[in-house]
Amino acid sequence: MSAKPEAVRINAEGIAAPAAAPVAGAAFKGLLGVLVLVGIAGFAAGISSGNADRVWQAYLVNFLVWIGIAQGGVVLSAAYYLTQGRWAGATQYRLAEAFAGFIPLGFVLFWGLYFGRTMIFPWVLHPIPQKAAWLNTPFLFARDGIGLLVMTVLSLALVRASRRPEATAWQRNSADIEMPPPTLRKIAPALGIAFTVVYSLIAFDLVMSLAPVWRSTLFGWYFFGGAFWSAIVAIALTAVILRARLGEHNVLRDPTVLHDIGKMVFAFSIFWIYLVFAQYIVIWYGDIPTETFFIVQRVYYMPWKAISYAVVFLMWVIPFVGLIGVRPKKTPAILGAISLGGIIGVWLERYLLVVPSLSLHTIPFGWVEVLITLGFFGAFMLCSLPGLDLVAAAATSEWQEGHE
Amino acid sequence: MNESVEIVGSFADEQACAHCIEKLRELRALAVRVFSPIPSHHIEHAIGKPKSTVRAFVLSGGILGILTALALTIGTSWEWNLVVGGKPIVSWPPFIIIMFELMILFGGISAVLSFLFNARVPAFEIEKGYSSRFSEDRFGIVVRCAEGESARVESILKDAGAEEVVREAA
Repeated sequence: MSAKPEAVRINAEGIAAPAAAPVAGAAFKGLLGVLVLVGIAGFAAGISSGNADRVWQAYLVNFLVWIGIAQGGVVLSAAYYLTQGRWAGATQYRLAEAFAGFIPLGFVLFWGLYFGRTMIFPWVLHPIPQKAAWLNTPFLFARDGIGLLVMTVLSLALVRASRRPEATAWQRNSADIEMPPPTLRKIAPALGIAFTVVYSLIAFDLVMSLAPVWRSTLFGWYFFGGAFWSAIVAIALTAVILRARLGEHNVLRDPTVLHDIGKMVFAFSIFWIYLVFAQYIVIWYGDIPTETFFIVQRVYYMPWKAISYAVVFLMWVIPFVGLIGVRPKKTPAILGAISLGGIIGVWLERYLLVVPSLSLHTIPFGWVEVLITLGFFGAFMLCSLPGLDLVAAAATSEWQEGHE
Repeated sequence: MNESVEIVGSFADEQACAHCIEKLRELRALAVRVFSPIPSHHIEHAIGKPKSTVRAFVLSGGILGILTALALTIGTSWEWNLVVGGKPIVSWPPFIIIMFELMILFGGISAVLSFLFNARVPAFEIEKGYSSRFSEDRFGIVVRCAEGESARVESILKDAGAEEVVREAA
Protein backbone atom coordinates (compact mmCIF):
# COMPACT_ATOMS: atom_id res chain seq x y z
CA MET A 1 0.00 0.00 0.00
CA SER A 2 1.25 3.47 -0.80
CA ALA A 3 1.94 6.02 1.90
CA LYS A 4 -1.15 7.22 3.69
CA PRO A 5 -1.90 10.85 2.93
CA GLU A 6 -2.09 13.07 5.96
CA ALA A 7 -5.65 13.51 7.17
CA VAL A 8 -6.70 17.08 6.57
CA ARG A 9 -7.88 19.05 9.56
CA ILE A 10 -10.48 21.68 8.96
CA ASN A 11 -10.09 25.07 10.55
CA ALA A 12 -13.05 26.91 11.94
CA GLU A 13 -13.55 28.91 8.75
CA GLY A 14 -13.76 25.69 6.79
CA ILE A 15 -11.52 26.96 3.99
CA ALA A 16 -8.92 24.25 4.24
CA ALA A 17 -10.53 22.08 1.58
CA PRO A 18 -7.77 21.05 -0.79
CA ALA A 19 -8.44 21.26 -4.49
CA ALA A 20 -9.62 17.77 -5.38
CA ALA A 21 -9.31 16.52 -8.94
CA PRO A 22 -12.47 17.26 -10.93
CA VAL A 23 -14.97 14.42 -10.85
CA ALA A 24 -15.26 14.26 -14.63
CA GLY A 25 -12.39 14.30 -17.09
CA ALA A 26 -12.46 16.05 -20.45
CA ALA A 27 -13.52 12.84 -22.19
CA PHE A 28 -16.58 12.44 -19.96
CA LYS A 29 -17.53 16.08 -20.39
CA GLY A 30 -17.19 15.63 -24.13
CA LEU A 31 -19.43 12.58 -23.98
CA LEU A 32 -22.07 14.56 -22.08
CA GLY A 33 -21.81 17.32 -24.67
CA VAL A 34 -22.35 14.75 -27.41
CA LEU A 35 -25.42 13.46 -25.53
CA VAL A 36 -26.89 16.96 -25.47
CA LEU A 37 -26.31 17.27 -29.22
CA VAL A 38 -27.85 13.83 -29.74
CA GLY A 39 -30.88 14.99 -27.78
CA ILE A 40 -31.23 18.15 -29.86
CA ALA A 41 -30.80 16.13 -33.06
CA GLY A 42 -33.41 13.63 -31.87
CA PHE A 43 -35.76 16.50 -31.05
CA ALA A 44 -35.33 18.02 -34.51
CA ALA A 45 -35.54 14.66 -36.30
CA GLY A 46 -38.65 13.72 -34.33
CA ILE A 47 -40.41 16.97 -35.19
CA SER A 48 -39.49 16.78 -38.87
CA SER A 49 -40.41 13.09 -39.22
CA GLY A 50 -43.97 13.68 -38.11
CA ASN A 51 -43.54 12.43 -34.53
CA ALA A 52 -44.06 15.83 -32.93
CA ASP A 53 -46.60 14.51 -30.41
CA ARG A 54 -44.19 11.87 -29.14
CA VAL A 55 -41.36 14.41 -29.06
CA TRP A 56 -43.33 16.74 -26.81
CA GLN A 57 -44.56 13.96 -24.54
CA ALA A 58 -41.00 12.73 -24.06
CA TYR A 59 -39.91 16.32 -23.49
CA LEU A 60 -42.53 16.78 -20.76
CA VAL A 61 -41.67 13.46 -19.09
CA ASN A 62 -37.98 14.27 -19.01
CA PHE A 63 -38.59 17.81 -17.84
CA LEU A 64 -40.60 16.48 -14.89
CA VAL A 65 -38.07 13.78 -14.03
CA TRP A 66 -34.90 15.86 -14.10
CA ILE A 67 -36.20 19.04 -12.55
CA GLY A 68 -37.76 16.86 -9.85
CA ILE A 69 -34.36 15.39 -9.00
CA ALA A 70 -32.62 18.77 -9.01
CA GLN A 71 -35.31 20.52 -7.00
CA GLY A 72 -35.87 17.62 -4.61
CA GLY A 73 -32.18 17.67 -3.76
CA VAL A 74 -32.24 21.33 -2.74
CA VAL A 75 -35.38 20.69 -0.69
CA LEU A 76 -33.54 17.82 0.97
CA SER A 77 -30.78 20.25 1.91
CA ALA A 78 -33.45 22.56 3.37
CA ALA A 79 -34.82 19.58 5.29
CA TYR A 80 -31.35 18.92 6.68
CA TYR A 81 -31.25 22.49 7.98
CA LEU A 82 -34.72 22.24 9.48
CA THR A 83 -33.83 19.03 11.28
CA GLN A 84 -30.22 20.15 11.89
CA GLY A 85 -29.00 16.91 10.38
CA ARG A 86 -25.23 16.70 10.33
CA TRP A 87 -24.52 12.99 10.16
CA ALA A 88 -22.07 13.42 7.28
CA GLY A 89 -20.94 17.01 7.82
CA ALA A 90 -20.75 19.30 4.81
CA THR A 91 -20.66 16.29 2.46
CA GLN A 92 -24.36 15.54 2.91
CA TYR A 93 -25.23 19.16 2.08
CA ARG A 94 -22.96 19.22 -1.01
CA LEU A 95 -24.51 15.92 -2.14
CA ALA A 96 -28.06 17.23 -1.76
CA GLU A 97 -27.18 20.45 -3.60
CA ALA A 98 -25.08 18.74 -6.27
CA PHE A 99 -27.78 18.86 -8.94
CA ALA A 100 -28.98 22.40 -8.23
CA GLY A 101 -27.19 23.66 -11.35
CA PHE A 102 -29.95 22.15 -13.47
CA ILE A 103 -32.73 24.21 -11.84
CA PRO A 104 -32.15 27.44 -13.88
CA LEU A 105 -31.89 25.41 -17.10
CA GLY A 106 -35.03 23.56 -16.10
CA PHE A 107 -36.81 26.89 -15.72
CA VAL A 108 -35.77 27.77 -19.27
CA LEU A 109 -36.80 24.35 -20.57
CA PHE A 110 -40.23 24.82 -18.99
CA TRP A 111 -40.95 27.57 -21.51
CA GLY A 112 -40.26 25.09 -24.30
CA LEU A 113 -43.54 23.43 -23.35
CA TYR A 114 -45.30 26.52 -24.66
CA PHE A 115 -44.35 25.55 -28.20
CA GLY A 116 -45.63 22.01 -27.75
CA ARG A 117 -48.81 22.93 -25.89
CA THR A 118 -51.20 21.79 -28.60
CA MET A 119 -49.64 18.33 -28.55
CA ILE A 120 -49.44 18.05 -24.76
CA PHE A 121 -52.61 19.60 -23.34
CA PRO A 122 -55.85 18.22 -24.78
CA TRP A 123 -57.79 21.23 -23.50
CA VAL A 124 -55.87 23.66 -25.73
CA LEU A 125 -57.62 22.39 -28.86
CA HIS A 126 -60.75 21.11 -27.09
CA PRO A 127 -61.42 23.46 -24.18
CA ILE A 128 -63.67 22.32 -21.36
CA PRO A 129 -66.06 25.22 -20.76
CA GLN A 130 -66.51 24.60 -17.02
CA LYS A 131 -62.76 24.57 -16.45
CA ALA A 132 -61.74 27.22 -18.98
CA ALA A 133 -61.16 29.81 -16.29
CA TRP A 134 -58.35 27.69 -14.88
CA LEU A 135 -57.20 25.62 -17.85
CA ASN A 136 -56.20 28.21 -20.42
CA THR A 137 -52.80 28.79 -21.94
CA PRO A 138 -51.88 32.28 -20.66
CA PHE A 139 -52.94 31.62 -17.07
CA LEU A 140 -51.26 28.20 -16.91
CA PHE A 141 -47.92 29.43 -18.17
CA ALA A 142 -48.10 32.58 -16.06
CA ARG A 143 -48.80 30.81 -12.77
CA ASP A 144 -46.42 27.90 -13.35
CA GLY A 145 -43.74 30.21 -14.71
CA ILE A 146 -43.97 32.44 -11.65
CA GLY A 147 -43.98 29.40 -9.37
CA LEU A 148 -40.89 27.92 -11.00
CA LEU A 149 -39.19 31.31 -10.97
CA VAL A 150 -39.80 31.58 -7.22
CA MET A 151 -38.41 28.06 -6.75
CA THR A 152 -35.34 28.86 -8.87
CA VAL A 153 -34.57 32.03 -6.94
CA LEU A 154 -35.13 30.42 -3.53
CA SER A 155 -33.09 27.35 -4.48
CA LEU A 156 -30.14 29.34 -5.76
CA ALA A 157 -30.27 31.54 -2.66
CA LEU A 158 -30.24 28.49 -0.39
CA VAL A 159 -27.39 26.81 -2.25
CA ARG A 160 -25.39 30.02 -2.25
CA ALA A 161 -25.88 30.61 1.48
CA SER A 162 -25.26 26.96 2.23
CA ARG A 163 -21.83 27.04 0.56
CA ARG A 164 -20.63 30.07 2.53
CA PRO A 165 -17.85 29.48 5.08
CA GLU A 166 -20.04 30.12 8.14
CA ALA A 167 -22.56 27.58 6.86
CA THR A 168 -19.95 24.92 6.06
CA ALA A 169 -18.37 25.46 9.46
CA TRP A 170 -21.78 24.86 11.04
CA GLN A 171 -22.34 21.76 8.89
CA ARG A 172 -19.06 20.23 10.01
CA ASN A 173 -19.46 21.04 13.67
CA SER A 174 -21.99 18.40 14.66
CA ALA A 175 -20.88 18.42 18.29
CA ASP A 176 -22.37 21.80 19.17
CA ILE A 177 -26.04 22.72 19.42
CA GLU A 178 -25.85 26.07 17.62
CA MET A 179 -28.62 26.90 15.17
CA PRO A 180 -27.69 27.20 11.48
CA PRO A 181 -26.78 30.68 10.17
CA PRO A 182 -29.76 33.12 10.20
CA THR A 183 -30.10 33.40 6.40
CA LEU A 184 -30.59 29.66 6.13
CA ARG A 185 -33.04 29.61 9.01
CA LYS A 186 -35.22 31.89 6.86
CA ILE A 187 -34.71 30.34 3.43
CA ALA A 188 -35.02 26.68 4.42
CA PRO A 189 -38.62 26.74 5.72
CA ALA A 190 -39.69 29.12 2.92
CA LEU A 191 -38.24 26.74 0.35
CA GLY A 192 -39.93 23.73 1.90
CA ILE A 193 -43.35 25.39 1.90
CA ALA A 194 -42.92 26.87 -1.59
CA PHE A 195 -41.91 23.44 -2.89
CA THR A 196 -45.13 21.82 -1.72
CA VAL A 197 -47.25 24.61 -3.22
CA VAL A 198 -45.43 25.04 -6.54
CA TYR A 199 -44.93 21.35 -7.21
CA SER A 200 -48.57 20.60 -6.39
CA LEU A 201 -49.40 23.21 -8.98
CA ILE A 202 -46.98 21.64 -11.47
CA ALA A 203 -48.59 18.25 -10.81
CA PHE A 204 -52.11 19.58 -11.34
CA ASP A 205 -51.23 21.66 -14.40
CA LEU A 206 -48.63 19.63 -16.25
CA VAL A 207 -49.80 16.11 -15.37
CA MET A 208 -53.37 16.00 -14.12
CA SER A 209 -54.67 18.41 -16.78
CA LEU A 210 -53.63 15.93 -19.48
CA ALA A 211 -56.72 13.99 -18.41
CA PRO A 212 -58.77 17.11 -17.77
CA VAL A 213 -61.86 15.42 -16.33
CA TRP A 214 -59.88 13.45 -13.76
CA ARG A 215 -59.07 14.76 -10.31
CA SER A 216 -57.41 13.60 -7.14
CA THR A 217 -56.75 16.10 -4.37
CA LEU A 218 -53.76 14.17 -3.09
CA PHE A 219 -52.12 14.04 -6.49
CA GLY A 220 -49.90 17.07 -5.92
CA TRP A 221 -48.56 15.65 -2.72
CA TYR A 222 -47.95 12.30 -4.40
CA PHE A 223 -46.12 14.02 -7.24
CA PHE A 224 -43.69 16.06 -5.15
CA GLY A 225 -43.22 13.16 -2.73
CA GLY A 226 -42.00 11.16 -5.72
CA ALA A 227 -39.74 14.03 -6.81
CA PHE A 228 -38.25 14.19 -3.31
CA TRP A 229 -37.60 10.45 -3.37
CA SER A 230 -36.05 10.66 -6.83
CA ALA A 231 -33.53 13.15 -5.42
CA ILE A 232 -32.72 10.79 -2.55
CA VAL A 233 -32.03 7.84 -4.86
CA ALA A 234 -29.96 10.08 -7.15
CA ILE A 235 -27.93 11.11 -4.10
CA ALA A 236 -27.53 7.51 -2.99
CA LEU A 237 -26.31 6.49 -6.44
CA THR A 238 -23.93 9.47 -6.56
CA ALA A 239 -22.59 8.61 -3.11
CA VAL A 240 -21.94 5.02 -4.14
CA ILE A 241 -20.15 6.03 -7.34
CA LEU A 242 -18.05 8.79 -5.74
CA ARG A 243 -17.22 6.54 -2.82
CA ALA A 244 -15.41 4.21 -5.20
CA ARG A 245 -13.89 6.98 -7.32
CA LEU A 246 -12.46 9.22 -4.61
CA GLY A 247 -9.88 6.77 -3.36
CA GLU A 248 -9.50 5.26 0.04
CA HIS A 249 -9.89 8.36 2.15
CA ASN A 250 -13.27 10.02 1.87
CA VAL A 251 -16.28 10.47 4.11
CA LEU A 252 -18.41 8.26 1.88
CA ARG A 253 -16.24 5.28 2.84
CA ASP A 254 -17.74 5.51 6.30
CA PRO A 255 -20.39 2.77 6.32
CA THR A 256 -22.64 4.79 8.65
CA VAL A 257 -23.02 7.43 5.93
CA LEU A 258 -24.32 4.89 3.41
CA HIS A 259 -26.46 3.46 6.18
CA ASP A 260 -28.09 6.85 6.76
CA ILE A 261 -28.66 7.48 3.05
CA GLY A 262 -30.05 3.94 2.74
CA LYS A 263 -32.50 4.69 5.55
CA MET A 264 -33.81 7.69 3.62
CA VAL A 265 -34.21 5.64 0.43
CA PHE A 266 -36.11 3.05 2.46
CA ALA A 267 -38.29 5.49 4.39
CA PHE A 268 -39.40 7.70 1.52
CA SER A 269 -40.07 4.69 -0.67
CA ILE A 270 -42.63 3.65 1.94
CA PHE A 271 -43.98 7.20 1.98
CA TRP A 272 -44.44 7.02 -1.79
CA ILE A 273 -46.41 3.75 -1.69
CA TYR A 274 -48.43 5.19 1.18
CA LEU A 275 -49.48 8.09 -1.04
CA VAL A 276 -50.26 5.70 -3.90
CA PHE A 277 -52.46 3.65 -1.62
CA ALA A 278 -54.09 6.70 -0.03
CA GLN A 279 -55.28 7.83 -3.47
CA TYR A 280 -56.19 4.35 -4.62
CA ILE A 281 -58.40 3.58 -1.62
CA VAL A 282 -60.43 6.78 -1.96
CA ILE A 283 -61.00 6.25 -5.67
CA TRP A 284 -61.80 2.58 -5.08
CA TYR A 285 -64.36 3.39 -2.41
CA GLY A 286 -66.05 6.17 -4.34
CA ASP A 287 -66.12 4.14 -7.55
CA ILE A 288 -67.03 7.16 -9.65
CA PRO A 289 -66.26 6.62 -13.34
CA THR A 290 -64.62 10.03 -13.78
CA GLU A 291 -62.16 9.09 -11.07
CA THR A 292 -61.62 5.39 -11.67
CA PHE A 293 -60.74 5.52 -15.36
CA PHE A 294 -57.34 7.04 -14.66
CA ILE A 295 -56.33 4.01 -12.60
CA VAL A 296 -58.19 1.43 -14.68
CA GLN A 297 -56.36 2.50 -17.83
CA ARG A 298 -53.00 2.20 -16.16
CA VAL A 299 -53.32 -0.70 -13.77
CA TYR A 300 -55.90 -3.12 -15.18
CA TYR A 301 -55.25 -3.19 -18.92
CA MET A 302 -52.24 -3.97 -21.01
CA PRO A 303 -49.97 -2.51 -22.24
CA TRP A 304 -49.76 -0.01 -19.36
CA LYS A 305 -50.42 -2.65 -16.71
CA ALA A 306 -46.90 -3.99 -17.22
CA ILE A 307 -45.37 -0.53 -16.69
CA SER A 308 -47.47 0.01 -13.56
CA TYR A 309 -46.23 -3.21 -12.01
CA ALA A 310 -42.64 -2.39 -12.98
CA VAL A 311 -42.97 1.02 -11.30
CA VAL A 312 -44.34 -0.43 -8.06
CA PHE A 313 -41.54 -3.00 -8.00
CA LEU A 314 -38.77 -0.51 -8.73
CA MET A 315 -40.03 2.22 -6.40
CA TRP A 316 -41.32 0.19 -3.49
CA VAL A 317 -41.10 -3.62 -3.50
CA ILE A 318 -37.39 -3.82 -4.30
CA PRO A 319 -36.26 -0.92 -2.06
CA PHE A 320 -38.45 -2.19 0.78
CA VAL A 321 -37.37 -5.82 0.69
CA GLY A 322 -33.82 -5.05 -0.36
CA LEU A 323 -33.04 -2.33 2.16
CA ILE A 324 -34.92 -3.57 5.22
CA GLY A 325 -31.71 -4.85 6.83
CA VAL A 326 -28.68 -2.91 7.99
CA ARG A 327 -26.15 -4.79 5.90
CA PRO A 328 -27.74 -4.18 2.49
CA LYS A 329 -27.92 -0.45 3.28
CA LYS A 330 -24.20 -0.46 4.02
CA THR A 331 -23.29 -2.52 0.95
CA PRO A 332 -22.49 -0.08 -1.87
CA ALA A 333 -23.34 -2.52 -4.68
CA ILE A 334 -26.83 -3.23 -3.27
CA LEU A 335 -27.66 0.37 -2.37
CA GLY A 336 -26.32 1.55 -5.75
CA ALA A 337 -28.24 -1.03 -7.76
CA ILE A 338 -31.50 -0.33 -5.91
CA SER A 339 -31.01 3.41 -6.38
CA LEU A 340 -30.33 3.03 -10.09
CA GLY A 341 -33.49 0.93 -10.31
CA GLY A 342 -35.25 3.69 -8.36
CA ILE A 343 -34.26 6.38 -10.87
CA ILE A 344 -35.45 4.17 -13.73
CA GLY A 345 -38.63 3.58 -11.75
CA VAL A 346 -39.22 7.31 -11.29
CA TRP A 347 -38.69 7.90 -15.01
CA LEU A 348 -41.19 5.13 -15.84
CA GLU A 349 -43.61 6.50 -13.25
CA ARG A 350 -43.58 10.00 -14.76
CA TYR A 351 -43.92 8.39 -18.18
CA LEU A 352 -46.87 6.39 -16.88
CA LEU A 353 -48.53 9.51 -15.49
CA VAL A 354 -48.16 11.52 -18.67
CA VAL A 355 -48.31 9.32 -21.74
CA PRO A 356 -51.40 7.05 -21.26
CA SER A 357 -53.54 10.20 -21.12
CA LEU A 358 -52.45 10.92 -24.68
CA SER A 359 -51.77 7.45 -26.09
CA LEU A 360 -53.98 4.85 -24.48
CA HIS A 361 -53.52 1.69 -26.50
CA THR A 362 -49.86 1.65 -27.42
CA ILE A 363 -46.67 2.41 -25.58
CA PRO A 364 -44.87 4.91 -27.78
CA PHE A 365 -41.30 4.09 -27.00
CA GLY A 366 -38.59 4.22 -29.64
CA TRP A 367 -35.66 6.26 -30.79
CA VAL A 368 -37.48 9.56 -30.21
CA GLU A 369 -37.92 8.90 -26.49
CA VAL A 370 -34.43 7.42 -26.09
CA LEU A 371 -32.64 10.30 -27.81
CA ILE A 372 -34.53 13.00 -25.93
CA THR A 373 -33.92 11.23 -22.62
CA LEU A 374 -30.20 11.02 -23.42
CA GLY A 375 -30.17 14.72 -24.26
CA PHE A 376 -31.81 15.64 -20.97
CA PHE A 377 -29.47 13.33 -19.07
CA GLY A 378 -26.44 14.95 -20.73
CA ALA A 379 -27.65 18.46 -19.93
CA PHE A 380 -28.52 17.46 -16.36
CA MET A 381 -25.07 15.98 -15.77
CA LEU A 382 -23.24 18.91 -17.41
CA CYS A 383 -25.10 21.29 -15.07
CA SER A 384 -24.34 19.06 -12.09
CA LEU A 385 -20.58 18.67 -12.61
CA PRO A 386 -19.56 21.79 -10.63
CA GLY A 387 -21.77 20.62 -7.76
CA LEU A 388 -20.27 17.14 -7.93
CA ASP A 389 -16.76 18.62 -7.76
CA LEU A 390 -17.78 20.30 -4.50
CA VAL A 391 -19.03 16.94 -3.19
CA ALA A 392 -15.66 15.41 -4.01
CA ALA A 393 -13.79 18.25 -2.28
CA ALA A 394 -15.95 18.04 0.85
CA ALA A 395 -15.85 14.25 1.03
CA THR A 396 -12.06 14.03 0.74
CA SER A 397 -11.21 17.02 2.93
CA GLU A 398 -13.48 16.04 5.77
CA TRP A 399 -12.14 12.57 6.01
CA GLN A 400 -10.36 12.06 9.28
CA GLU A 401 -8.25 9.34 10.78
CA GLY A 402 -10.35 6.93 12.77
CA HIS A 403 -13.58 8.15 11.28
CA GLU A 404 -14.62 4.63 10.34
CA MET B 1 -19.40 -19.82 48.12
CA ASN B 2 -18.80 -18.07 51.37
CA GLU B 3 -15.34 -16.89 50.40
CA SER B 4 -16.51 -14.83 47.41
CA VAL B 5 -16.80 -11.07 47.69
CA GLU B 6 -18.33 -8.26 45.66
CA ILE B 7 -16.25 -5.29 44.75
CA VAL B 8 -17.99 -2.08 43.71
CA GLY B 9 -16.15 0.55 41.69
CA SER B 10 -17.72 3.85 40.81
CA PHE B 11 -16.77 5.91 37.78
CA ALA B 12 -17.49 9.47 36.76
CA ASP B 13 -16.48 8.87 33.17
CA GLU B 14 -18.44 6.74 30.72
CA GLN B 15 -15.42 5.88 28.55
CA ALA B 16 -13.28 4.90 31.53
CA CYS B 17 -16.07 2.69 32.78
CA ALA B 18 -16.40 1.03 29.37
CA HIS B 19 -12.65 0.39 29.16
CA CYS B 20 -12.66 -1.08 32.65
CA ILE B 21 -15.48 -3.45 31.69
CA GLU B 22 -13.50 -4.58 28.68
CA LYS B 23 -10.46 -5.30 30.86
CA LEU B 24 -12.50 -7.19 33.42
CA ARG B 25 -14.13 -9.26 30.70
CA GLU B 26 -10.71 -10.46 29.62
CA LEU B 27 -10.56 -12.36 32.92
CA ARG B 28 -13.37 -14.64 31.92
CA ALA B 29 -14.18 -16.21 35.25
CA LEU B 30 -15.57 -13.03 36.82
CA ALA B 31 -19.22 -12.07 37.13
CA VAL B 32 -19.55 -8.40 36.23
CA ARG B 33 -22.65 -6.27 36.74
CA VAL B 34 -22.88 -2.67 35.58
CA PHE B 35 -25.11 0.20 36.69
CA SER B 36 -25.44 3.19 34.41
CA PRO B 37 -27.43 6.39 34.92
CA ILE B 38 -27.85 6.80 31.15
CA PRO B 39 -28.29 4.44 28.23
CA SER B 40 -24.76 4.18 26.88
CA HIS B 41 -23.65 2.67 23.60
CA HIS B 42 -20.07 2.43 24.84
CA ILE B 43 -21.01 0.39 27.86
CA GLU B 44 -23.44 -1.71 25.88
CA HIS B 45 -20.65 -2.47 23.44
CA ALA B 46 -18.18 -3.22 26.26
CA ILE B 47 -20.54 -5.65 27.95
CA GLY B 48 -20.77 -7.53 24.67
CA LYS B 49 -24.38 -8.51 25.16
CA PRO B 50 -25.95 -10.29 22.23
CA LYS B 51 -28.61 -8.34 20.31
CA SER B 52 -31.80 -7.83 22.26
CA THR B 53 -34.64 -10.28 21.73
CA VAL B 54 -37.14 -7.41 21.65
CA ARG B 55 -36.90 -7.31 17.85
CA ALA B 56 -38.00 -10.93 17.55
CA PHE B 57 -41.02 -10.22 19.75
CA VAL B 58 -41.93 -7.16 17.70
CA LEU B 59 -41.70 -9.09 14.44
CA SER B 60 -43.86 -11.94 15.69
CA GLY B 61 -46.28 -9.47 17.28
CA GLY B 62 -46.57 -7.63 13.97
CA ILE B 63 -47.19 -10.81 12.00
CA LEU B 64 -49.74 -11.94 14.58
CA GLY B 65 -51.43 -8.54 14.20
CA ILE B 66 -51.72 -8.98 10.42
CA LEU B 67 -53.17 -12.46 10.82
CA THR B 68 -55.61 -11.27 13.47
CA ALA B 69 -56.75 -8.44 11.20
CA LEU B 70 -57.23 -10.86 8.29
CA ALA B 71 -59.29 -13.15 10.49
CA LEU B 72 -61.32 -10.24 11.86
CA THR B 73 -62.07 -8.54 8.54
CA ILE B 74 -62.69 -11.66 6.44
CA GLY B 75 -64.51 -13.40 9.30
CA THR B 76 -66.93 -10.56 9.95
CA SER B 77 -67.52 -10.08 6.21
CA TRP B 78 -68.47 -13.73 5.82
CA GLU B 79 -70.53 -13.67 8.98
CA TRP B 80 -72.71 -10.85 7.61
CA ASN B 81 -72.93 -11.23 3.84
CA LEU B 82 -73.85 -7.69 2.94
CA VAL B 83 -73.00 -6.40 -0.50
CA VAL B 84 -71.86 -2.79 -0.21
CA GLY B 85 -71.53 -0.56 -3.26
CA GLY B 86 -71.56 -3.57 -5.58
CA LYS B 87 -68.21 -4.71 -4.29
CA PRO B 88 -67.27 -8.31 -3.49
CA ILE B 89 -68.01 -9.55 0.05
CA VAL B 90 -64.32 -9.89 0.76
CA SER B 91 -62.79 -6.79 -0.82
CA TRP B 92 -59.23 -6.42 0.27
CA PRO B 93 -58.29 -2.71 -0.20
CA PRO B 94 -59.86 -1.46 3.06
CA PHE B 95 -58.65 -4.57 4.88
CA ILE B 96 -55.08 -3.43 4.28
CA ILE B 97 -55.72 -0.50 6.61
CA ILE B 98 -56.97 -2.77 9.40
CA MET B 99 -54.03 -5.11 8.81
CA PHE B 100 -51.64 -2.20 9.03
CA GLU B 101 -53.20 -0.81 12.20
CA LEU B 102 -53.30 -4.13 14.02
CA MET B 103 -49.73 -4.85 12.93
CA ILE B 104 -48.66 -1.60 14.60
CA LEU B 105 -50.80 -2.24 17.68
CA PHE B 106 -49.69 -5.82 18.26
CA GLY B 107 -46.08 -5.00 17.39
CA GLY B 108 -46.09 -2.05 19.79
CA ILE B 109 -47.66 -3.97 22.65
CA SER B 110 -45.25 -6.87 22.24
CA ALA B 111 -42.36 -4.39 22.17
CA VAL B 112 -43.42 -2.93 25.51
CA LEU B 113 -44.06 -6.33 27.11
CA SER B 114 -40.81 -7.85 25.87
CA PHE B 115 -38.95 -4.74 26.98
CA LEU B 116 -40.36 -5.09 30.49
CA PHE B 117 -39.51 -8.78 30.44
CA ASN B 118 -35.97 -8.13 29.23
CA ALA B 119 -35.38 -5.30 31.68
CA ARG B 120 -36.72 -7.48 34.53
CA VAL B 121 -39.29 -4.87 35.43
CA PRO B 122 -40.91 -4.74 37.90
CA ALA B 123 -38.05 -5.64 40.22
CA PHE B 124 -38.95 -6.05 43.87
CA GLU B 125 -35.45 -6.47 45.13
CA ILE B 126 -32.67 -3.99 44.69
CA GLU B 127 -29.60 -5.62 43.20
CA LYS B 128 -26.57 -5.89 45.41
CA GLY B 129 -23.98 -3.22 45.07
CA TYR B 130 -26.49 -0.62 43.88
CA SER B 131 -26.21 2.87 45.18
CA SER B 132 -28.46 5.83 44.40
CA ARG B 133 -25.48 7.59 42.82
CA PHE B 134 -25.74 5.12 39.94
CA SER B 135 -29.06 6.69 39.06
CA GLU B 136 -27.61 10.18 39.18
CA ASP B 137 -24.18 10.88 37.76
CA ARG B 138 -21.97 7.87 38.43
CA PHE B 139 -21.35 4.57 36.67
CA GLY B 140 -20.96 1.52 38.85
CA ILE B 141 -19.23 -1.78 38.18
CA VAL B 142 -19.88 -4.65 40.56
CA VAL B 143 -17.50 -7.58 40.30
CA ARG B 144 -18.15 -10.84 42.07
CA CYS B 145 -14.98 -12.79 42.61
CA ALA B 146 -13.15 -15.14 44.96
CA GLU B 147 -11.54 -13.65 48.02
CA GLY B 148 -8.09 -14.43 46.65
CA GLU B 149 -8.65 -12.53 43.42
CA SER B 150 -10.04 -9.41 45.05
CA ALA B 151 -6.72 -7.55 45.21
CA ARG B 152 -6.23 -7.96 41.47
CA VAL B 153 -9.76 -6.83 40.67
CA GLU B 154 -9.40 -3.82 42.92
CA SER B 155 -6.23 -2.80 41.16
CA ILE B 156 -7.87 -3.17 37.75
CA LEU B 157 -10.72 -0.94 38.86
CA LYS B 158 -8.38 1.64 40.30
CA ASP B 159 -6.09 1.61 37.28
CA ALA B 160 -9.05 2.16 35.02
CA GLY B 161 -9.92 5.34 36.88
CA ALA B 162 -12.47 4.31 39.51
CA GLU B 163 -13.09 7.14 41.96
CA GLU B 164 -13.93 4.77 44.73
CA VAL B 165 -13.59 1.02 45.24
CA VAL B 166 -15.60 -0.65 48.00
CA ARG B 167 -15.64 -4.27 49.06
CA GLU B 168 -18.84 -5.91 50.16
CA ALA B 169 -19.57 -9.38 51.39
CA ALA B 170 -21.28 -11.44 48.70
